[in-house]
Amino acid sequence: MSQLEIRSISHWFGGLQALKDVTFDTSDEILGLIGPNGAGKTTLFNVISGFIIPTSGEVHFNGKAIHRLRADQTVRLGLARTFQIVKPFATLTVEENVLVGLGMPYYPKPAALVQIYRTPVNLEKVEQILSKVHLLDYRFAQAAKLPIGLQRRLEIARALATQPKVLLLDEPAAGLVAQEAEELATLIRNLFAEGMHIILIEHNMRFAMNLCQRIVVLAQGEIIAQGSPADIQNDAKVINAYLGQE
Amino acid sequence: MLVLQNLSNALILACTYILMAAGLTMVYGVLKVLHIAHASVYTVGAFVGVLAFSRVGNFWVALAIAMLVSGVFGVLIYRSTYFYLLNSPRTVPLIASVGMFVMFTDLLQKPFLMGAYQRAFPAGGAGLPAIKTALFSFTPKQVLILLVAIILLAIVYLILTRTKLGLSWQAASMDREMASAVGINLNQSIAANFFLGSALAGAAGVLVGVYNNSVFATMGDLPSYKAFIIIVLGGMGSLPGAILASLILAIVENFLVASIGYVLPRDSIAFLVLILMLMFRPNGLLGRE
Amino acid sequence: MASGYLLTILIFTTMYISLALSLNILTGYAGQVSLGHAAFLGIGAYTSAVLSVRYEAPFWLAFLVAIILTGLIGTFLGLPSLRVRHDFLVLATMGINFVVVSVFKYVDFFGGAMGLVNIPAPTLFGITFRGGIPYLLLTTAYALFTLLICWYISKTWSGLAFQTIRNDEDASASLGVNPARYKIYAFGISAALAGGVGSLYAHFLGSVFPDNFVFVESIGMLSMVIFGGIGTLRGPIVGAILLRLIPELLRFIQDYRFTFYGASLVLMMLFQPMGLLGNESWVWRQITRWLRTAPQSRKEATQ
Repeated sequence: MSQLEIRSISHWFGGLQALKDVTFDTSDEILGLIGPNGAGKTTLFNVISGFIIPTSGEVHFNGKAIHRLRADQTVRLGLARTFQIVKPFATLTVEENVLVGLGMPYYPKPAALVQIYRTPVNLEKVEQILSKVHLLDYRFAQAAKLPIGLQRRLEIARALATQPKVLLLDEPAAGLVAQEAEELATLIRNLFAEGMHIILIEHNMRFAMNLCQRIVVLAQGEIIAQGSPADIQNDAKVINAYLGQE
Repeated sequence: MLVLQNLSNALILACTYILMAAGLTMVYGVLKVLHIAHASVYTVGAFVGVLAFSRVGNFWVALAIAMLVSGVFGVLIYRSTYFYLLNSPRTVPLIASVGMFVMFTDLLQKPFLMGAYQRAFPAGGAGLPAIKTALFSFTPKQVLILLVAIILLAIVYLILTRTKLGLSWQAASMDREMASAVGINLNQSIAANFFLGSALAGAAGVLVGVYNNSVFATMGDLPSYKAFIIIVLGGMGSLPGAILASLILAIVENFLVASIGYVLPRDSIAFLVLILMLMFRPNGLLGRE
Repeated sequence: MASGYLLTILIFTTMYISLALSLNILTGYAGQVSLGHAAFLGIGAYTSAVLSVRYEAPFWLAFLVAIILTGLIGTFLGLPSLRVRHDFLVLATMGINFVVVSVFKYVDFFGGAMGLVNIPAPTLFGITFRGGIPYLLLTTAYALFTLLICWYISKTWSGLAFQTIRNDEDASASLGVNPARYKIYAFGISAALAGGVGSLYAHFLGSVFPDNFVFVESIGMLSMVIFGGIGTLRGPIVGAILLRLIPELLRFIQDYRFTFYGASLVLMMLFQPMGLLGNESWVWRQITRWLRTAPQSRKEATQ
């Protein structure tokens, strides 16, 4: 069960308003968050996941107010995210990167100072996650040396290791070629079939429209449209917002 | 008026801080790394200044020579080290800077350079008159510092805002890649930047050497620490901020020492301020990120 | 006596191995570049000295309190590090070093500029360690202890967490690591271990002076970590050994010890920023290559 309520979120960066009264609900679906550059999509993700405390407004997850929590606290509640520009732990291997996610329950406890992380049980779990995202062959590779497509999958694997209820993916298809994007879409659909609530920011329109069940369109910090992919594609406001870009 | 006299003394102190901090700010703006070896340039400037003065007997000539040598020294530092590390992760040039500082400090203390003791720099007020008004007064030495500082700052300001070189520094401090892409010769621009910034440090060294009539190998340590503090206080890379922060620091030091006395040495004040600043206002009083 | 001199060198080298390893936890594992580590050495030294000299505490007590107190003060002094990174962090740690030394110099309780003298030699289990081989055993034991702690930490979740904040704080936060908490842990553990060395240092020399712990000493410690290979276990050990022994072996460098440290830092940054034995260094790659091929050639030789 995953219920995310975004209520009147507004955020100012100095004199610039990045988000304007954003309100919507989402639960147990694949939701797409699209919009032209600078619309505030990543800012919204940062608010939800705890990297930013919004200037005003609230976010509730399964009934609990989370907008004032830090990033390491929201992930403990079940919200995991990936980043627009991949952030692998460069000096660690693929396997170790995923292990980091697996450690989420341990970090806040003093026991983290004495508990060994490289146990057979944990390695087994890592193996399962890596095979799910088809990265098992790269298990011992250094994360920094992987091509971008694989690094994106690694970020998802890492996030999955925290056993989230919601997965916030920030432009997961960026930089991927058609085949990789197709594999990614399949992965996302499989995760959803297993019960994962997924929200993704995407710039690649075809990718988003084919994958998402519902779409929220953000432009200049405000929601200008919500609905099914079909509704959105025919919405005049949306077309205008994008035409203004091209 | 004791307060006014204190303020005017603080002003003189601030002048020396400003020259040191201005050079450091300029270099930081373009290099984006704390040039810790700046302290050595200051000391070298003082040393060359006192040597030149003992040969030539004229303060202004000695100052010019000191500034020239300091400037060249700075360019050499850039060209031999930072030049190769411009695109490395930030800790790399930082540690190189620390390494150079340690190396120069150690070398400067050797007998064949400055030795372990101080020497005098008896330039007096370079023939300038004292200024005596009803409210405050400046000794000839103080007038000298004020004069040199104002002239140099004016020159720096003009270069920064009116010349192509100065504009190239502003561009490079905002975005090095872009600056290079629009045709700015980064290497020359940064070298010139180092030259001027180091020359300022050399001038600061000379002035302090004259004022205290003392030049010694470790004289750069404290002023450079304070210069770092000043550029943090003033906001990294902001010259007006650095000037304001220098004034504030000088005033606070003067007044705190006068009122509190010697609980902790006056130099600790600057450090405590730094630590508090870094904890609560890391962007400085005036600066932008 | 020549061997007395040699022993002194070895004792100091083992102490610096411990110091470099402890600094490595903060700077190598957790990525917090610190130029104020000598402050922790000093706090440990003074704590142990004060307890022994003024309160006639037995050595083991002074030693333990030195470790614990330095660790606590270390976590507290780590607070300025939370909001700042890189250059500013370096500045903050320099400032802390300076303030700590000033406190030792100007507060009478610590003996002021004259320091504290007549620190007794340690007595453990009825044996008094008055320098020489017994003391070397003591410092070597502590070095091994520090090595053990570092090794163990690198195997725990906390060790993994340290590496993540070194690599990318945002990503680590997104996976449940509170960077602030772990930076404080790193400061605390690193400081505590250095505090222990401080106690051994004070009781070996018999006296402590504020100038023993100035900023330049911190640079020396950082040089060892970086020279050897930051973030590894072998790096700080080798760095400490080389940077302490080379000046002893090469007479003409002895007077230029800090020039040597400074120059080695600069040269390292220009040519091998990951250190002499860092994971990507030329030397390490030769060693690992040799280790991989050697068994083969030995097998072929016996056939």
